[in-house]
Amino acid sequence: MIYLEFKAIETVDDAIELLQMAIALEFSTLPPYLYALYSIRPGTNAAAFERIRFVAMEEMVHMCLACNILNALGTNPVLTAPNYPGPLPGGISGGGKEPLIIHLLPFSKDAMAQAMAIEEPEAGPMDFPHEALEAAQPTFMTIGQFYHHLDGFLATLPASRWSRGRNQLDDRQFLAGKVFAVNGFTDAHRAIDGIVSEGEGTRDSPLDFGGDVAHYYRFAEVFYDQVLTKADNSKGYAWKDKLGVDWNGVYPAIADPGSHDFSKDPPTARAAQDRCDAAFTRLVQELQRAVAGEGGRLGNAVRAMFDLRMAAKQALTVSLAVPTQVAGPSFRYRPSLVGAVQ
Amino acid sequence: MSVLETPRLFFRGRITWDPIVTNNRPQQYDENEGKTVFDSDNGVAAFRKDAIAAVTGPGNWNPHGTHRSTFYETFTVGVDTGGGLSTSDAIVKSPVLFTGMLVDLEPYGAFSSQLFFDDMSFGIQGGCRVFAPRVTRMTGRYINFARNTTYKYVAGVASVVWQTSFPKTSGLRIDPHDSSLLQKFAEQLKHDDVLGLTVRWNTYRTLYFDSLNPANNTALAQQLHDKLVGGGFQPNPARSELVGVLGLWRKGEPATEPGDRALLTRQPGRMASAHARVSKHQLTLDLANSVPETGVDLAKLNLGDLNAVAVAPDGATVVARLGSLKYADYCREKYEASAGIVTIEVDWGEAEKAKTADIQIRQKDDTVLLAEAALRAVPTAPNIYLDEGETTTLSVLVLDRGKPTGSGVQVAMANPDTSSGASTTSLTNAEGIATFSLSGTKGQVESFVFAAGQGAAVPQGINPQTTTYVYVRTLPADADIAGLEPSWTTVYGKVLRNWHAMAPCMDNWLDLGNPDQVKSFAAMLHELTAKANFEAFRFMPVTRDMTTGERALLYAFLDGTGALEAVVEAPPQVSLQRLSRAMRGGAR
Repeated sequence: MIYLEFKAIETVDDAIELLQMAIALEFSTLPPYLYALYSIRPGTNAAAFERIRFVAMEEMVHMCLACNILNALGTNPVLTAPNYPGPLPGGISGGGKEPLIIHLLPFSKDAMAQAMAIEEPEAGPMDFPHEALEAAQPTFMTIGQFYHHLDGFLATLPASRWSRGRNQLDDRQFLAGKVFAVNGFTDAHRAIDGIVSEGEGTRDSPLDFGGDVAHYYRFAEVFYDQVLTKADNSKGYAWKDKLGVDWNGVYPAIADPGSHDFSKDPPTARAAQDRCDAAFTRLVQELQRAVAGEGGRLGNAVRAMFDLRMAAKQALTVSLAVPTQVAGPSFRYRPSLVGAVQ
Repeated sequence: MSVLETPRLFFRGRITWDPIVTNNRPQQYDENEGKTVFDSDNGVAAFRKDAIAAVTGPGNWNPHGTHRSTFYETFTVGVDTGGGLSTSDAIVKSPVLFTGMLVDLEPYGAFSSQLFFDDMSFGIQGGCRVFAPRVTRMTGRYINFARNTTYKYVAGVASVVWQTSFPKTSGLRIDPHDSSLLQKFAEQLKHDDVLGLTVRWNTYRTLYFDSLNPANNTALAQQLHDKLVGGGFQPNPARSELVGVLGLWRKGEPATEPGDRALLTRQPGRMASAHARVSKHQLTLDLANSVPETGVDLAKLNLGDLNAVAVAPDGATVVARLGSLKYADYCREKYEASAGIVTIEVDWGEAEKAKTADIQIRQKDDTVLLAEAALRAVPTAPNIYLDEGETTTLSVLVLDRGKPTGSGVQVAMANPDTSSGASTTSLTNAEGIATFSLSGTKGQVESFVFAAGQGAAVPQGINPQTTTYVYVRTLPADADIAGLEPSWTTVYGKVLRNWHAMAPCMDNWLDLGNPDQVKSFAAMLHELTAKANFEAFRFMPVTRDMTTGERALLYAFLDGTGALEAVVEAPPQVSLQRLSRAMRGGAR
């Protein structure tokens, strides 16, 4: 379970600060999911691959929507590249547990367990409406509560506080039906509802509002190697048929390549890492310009995303000094590499 | 029969269309040779630059297309298990998942669209679900160019009927759980007469640049152009509304286009062709493709009350009155709820008379909107690819008021593009199927039209609203290419350069101009280009235009160990000729 520091929202600036954190949070979930995804060997684990890919795509959507909300409040989002291993932005101890430290793990039960921990819904209904602030203030909140908390405050803003059409990302080129402009509270509320339901499911169901399995349960299907299936029991679902996971269908990738000392590895491995880092850096830079309203930059970011994928596929086939090991992308932001690495 | 009987499932949503359209014109692509056309010695960079330049003219709305077509915001909206529309079945509100590759067999034309895909799903794994692996690609037919005449931009005016069928013997899986509809499907599939399930959907109100007002598209094209010039990956998918239906597929029914009784348009601007079925007490009409919208708000044209009648052979004398439809039966709300399928109650005696008489749909003043064509010759494989020197047998199913004829019915087939207009004929067998031999004599795209019945006139051309037809694309053998030294220079220059230029989206997956990358993905390229995978979603090239000779040279290179020479391209130049090319329109 991810716990975030509870912060009262009394001003728009408070909300902006939290939205900035939301963007960083959504962004930070991507590398661990992509690391696991890329490390799956081609021709294996089709069902698991599709589930992880689906969640990663939705996390990208969530980040875009959070940027749209922030832009609609008149503030430019700032994208900050995360570091691994490390806590998620805003992550604190809570519920008697230490903050969750996120690692880059190849496809494995551990990787799925970590993903489930990131996406884990609060047990039972955990509404966190704005009015609840008048009760004894909690000290932490889950991601879902965090968004509801934000939603409650945004509902109080007058229409005049929202900017129409400011630096909005839409689905004209990518992610049809998923990304939409935020021009007021109604749009922001729809975005937040979608983010929470896709992550956690609805209050009574593991399905989101779109009828798809929510993120936590998608990862759980892989973890348990079983399909969450409709059942005639009090909960309505049971773990049933095999999903078909092959835990051996994975490249022998090291965990947390960002902590690895590549100086002792062959030049080909270092070059492969440089290509990954260069692509990731371009991705961050182009995304930053896209959310600042520069037309066409989203397309550049998507191209960088594909470049990262290609670089990762190549890196995962290059041996390290320990010849049985390879490394996936470190997701390091290294501006010095951009333009210097082919 | 078919989706016009119950049980059936209705769905509704949207689809994106993301084809590369740079190959729609002879200036950029030779569809006979299957080759990209380069200006003299100019290379890929110049070609791509010209394709981008054409965006601001009426020439190219999507140079960075991927060919992908994906359902979004698409859900099951209702079922009919025999008692009329219901929205309470457990399958209702489930996502419908489909991703295909949109490829026109004839790149220059608009009549041969098809969607290559791997599977389709109604509902999700673990829930109420129909999971349908592809056996036959999805085919577009009955294109209606009068559907949305207020959106005059490329294919914005048109709607299309898409169909395929899923045999129960080929992995079709139904997980009914508590869905009454799926339980009925599962039960029906046990019958020998039921071959599987048929899906049919209609796409309409296609928007470009996601713009409701085509007057804005010139400015939006300029924006796209500027993005493309700025680099990156800049697709520009169009998008359509869609309604659809999933139902039973029985013996004697065509898999890839509607069977049943064909009601052909007499007033294309008011109502496009439809299909009908008469049972003892009901007339069921598939009007999914028929009633135009009056604007982008999707309101349906109000044609007033419509009367369904059956007429004598003179085409005028009414012999049976089957019933009436009111506007409320075909208005937008009803259309979206039940995919344009309308059922009206019919007196048993009148239904009996209609068994052997042509059905018409008339307006109140007796203007005939639709009139039945009793005999229809439907090709069982509507789009065919051949290699030069290859021969195949084309089967044509002849339906008489929606049911296969017996033996001895004459079918004529002709190529409307040949000056002679000569036709060949064949007779149906006991299953109502006539066969024709097709030979790929040279690289070309041909079409053939059909007429059923002794002395029936063969259409002079294709009108997709009324004509049944088949398209055949023959790829040249390119034996000369196969015989070349498999060096990087030849394999790039004679093979890969075609798609490196035409499909910039490929840069996302594989740099076709990079010999090291091409070599390192040799195994994958073998698999993706293997003819055995021709129907697969990921088959390469998506446009299905790699010749036998090109494939042989590519494989020789991939399998060989020859040195990789550098390729030097001429500097890019702007082609004014390409700048002036016209946007490919809807109709020919």
